[in-house]
Amino acid sequence: MPKKIFLSFLILILVSGVYSEELTGKEIIQKVNDLINVETSYSKSTMTITTTSDQKRTFISESWTKDKGEKNLVRYLEPARVKGQAVLMLNNADDIWMFFPRTQRVRKLATHAKKQKMQGSDFSYEDMGSGETFINDFEAERLEDEQKQGYGCYKVKLTRKPGIDISYVQMIIWVRKDNFVPIVIDYYDEDAPERVLKTLIQSDIEVIDGIPTAMKFVMIDKNNNTQTEMELLEVKYNIELDDRMFTERNLKR
Amino acid sequence: MKKKTFFICAAGIIFFFLIAPEARGDVDLFGYYEAQVIGADVKDHFYQLFANKLRVDLKADLSSSVSFAANFDYITYHGKKEWNVLDFLSSEITSKIPEAMRPLYVIPFSDRHFLDNAYLRLSFKPFDLTLGKQQISLGTGYVWNPVDVFNIKDILDPTYEQPGHNAVRADVPIGLGSTLTALYSPGEEWKNSSKMLQFKTRISHFDFAVTGIEKTWVFHDYTVFDPAQMNFQELPDKRKLLGASTAGELLGLGVWAEYAYNWMETTDDFYELVVGTDYTFDFQTYVLIEYFRNTLGKNDHRDYTLNDWMRSFAQEQKAVSRDQVYMLIQHPATDLMTVGMSAICSLSDHSLALVPMVMYSFSQNVDIYAYLNWNTGKEGTYFANTMGNGGFVRVRVYF
Repeated sequence: MPKKIFLSFLILILVSGVYSEELTGKEIIQKVNDLINVETSYSKSTMTITTTSDQKRTFISESWTKDKGEKNLVRYLEPARVKGQAVLMLNNADDIWMFFPRTQRVRKLATHAKKQKMQGSDFSYEDMGSGETFINDFEAERLEDEQKQGYGCYKVKLTRKPGIDISYVQMIIWVRKDNFVPIVIDYYDEDAPERVLKTLIQSDIEVIDGIPTAMKFVMIDKNNNTQTEMELLEVKYNIELDDRMFTERNLKR
Repeated sequence: MKKKTFFICAAGIIFFFLIAPEARGDVDLFGYYEAQVIGADVKDHFYQLFANKLRVDLKADLSSSVSFAANFDYITYHGKKEWNVLDFLSSEITSKIPEAMRPLYVIPFSDRHFLDNAYLRLSFKPFDLTLGKQQISLGTGYVWNPVDVFNIKDILDPTYEQPGHNAVRADVPIGLGSTLTALYSPGEEWKNSSKMLQFKTRISHFDFAVTGIEKTWVFHDYTVFDPAQMNFQELPDKRKLLGASTAGELLGLGVWAEYAYNWMETTDDFYELVVGTDYTFDFQTYVLIEYFRNTLGKNDHRDYTLNDWMRSFAQEQKAVSRDQVYMLIQHPATDLMTVGMSAICSLSDHSLALVPMVMYSFSQNVDIYAYLNWNTGKEGTYFANTMGNGGFVRVRVYF
């Protein structure tokens, strides 16, 4: 009996090993996409920008997502300069509204606004990989596996599809084999496709509600020699969220 | 008496927030202090006006369905506190003004303190009700908003906050993407009160709104002084507006448009139209262009009257010329500094104002803004070089 169990276990490992080895780039990215786009989520995070003059700027925000990231609401809590500002993104960030509390004005933004830096940080709105962007906007090609940050990783090249208006012509993603968390992403600029423009490092992975979650993100801008660190202070998955939360009415609260 | 009232209010706020913090509950206290210096080269003099503004905001979520917000502004002015509008106008216009009336065209900058906004928002399941002095922001235009009869933005600084208006407002959501808004801003009587109805919805990637407004529009005849009012003669006129606005995306560009037709009871009907577009390039440069037509404005600068100019300065009408274009380009020069330039061009009289700008994040809650203003048009045009080239520097500290 124990021998049978051992054999079954061995077969399972071998099958899963063979299976994982045979994953295409597209399948790996699909698994990453499924992992990061949970049904609903809430998070509270800090974002600390380290400037070229070594000054720090710290922001605290709350974020809610629904329908696997299709709906997203971000509200800034600190600092005082941006307190109350909020961004609503619907249809995988194809529709964006921004609320400015000082003028009580809601402005509809076009998708090009995703290229702008989030509060002057090294993250742009499109870096957040909202919704299905990895799947819809890029072609995935699996490269040779590599060790990265001490973990066995799939290495996948994402090449921007023709006609897609996104800042990066290419991305290289290292995805941990054991949990499909992307731990390093290199972003390549259109003007210099051979040079890495920015690098995102995701670490401090914790399993929250059964979902492996990177709690720390560092975006390094190689051109400007600046970096932004984002840390999740609180995360909840699969919580009850009403659709009315993702409306202009709630944006202005 | 006013000073006394202010100090009583200030003492009350200090007591409430410092002495009795336990009574504060979930009340947020925030705001900013703003120091600003405006400089202008006028008739061989370089004048300076300094302004200090303290804005204190309160916001309290008293329950999940009741919130209260207010802000109090205290502003002091120093330096050149009286500006004579006639210094900026062409001799063709000023020569017609009787000598005795000339001192009347001085705009004073007097210290002031006021409750800018104070409102209660009651959120019922089917609608939100907002009662009190509140900002009313209408339209999709960046610089000009034809459907907004309550505010006129400063073309040099169009994103600056607008004053509060006393009103009762109901926002009724219809489904997830549509809202019906009814607003009543009371005057002395029902007939001279402002009423607004707006329906806003979403179709594909576009927002659409249809707005109807009735308002008594009070503007002045700046050639006739009314001794009883100790002011220029008031010319109230009933204004009925029907407007439409949209904002969305076309071929990757942000696009917006706004149109309003105004039926006037005694003066000529007119319309206003705005069309705009913007784009952010991969290298982070942001560009915006907006066209504005108002048929109240004149096609030829030789037709501009003293009333046109004064109404424009007093923000009673949006522009003296009929057609104008606003262009903006901004780029983050460093991680802390954004540089940009706006150009405002009157297509009617071919004058142009250039406004280079720098925005610098000095520290977490301190921003510095510097704007220059260079008018290049010939005398008598909208952006004439006699309008006072200069600019301003503003330092704002948020708390």
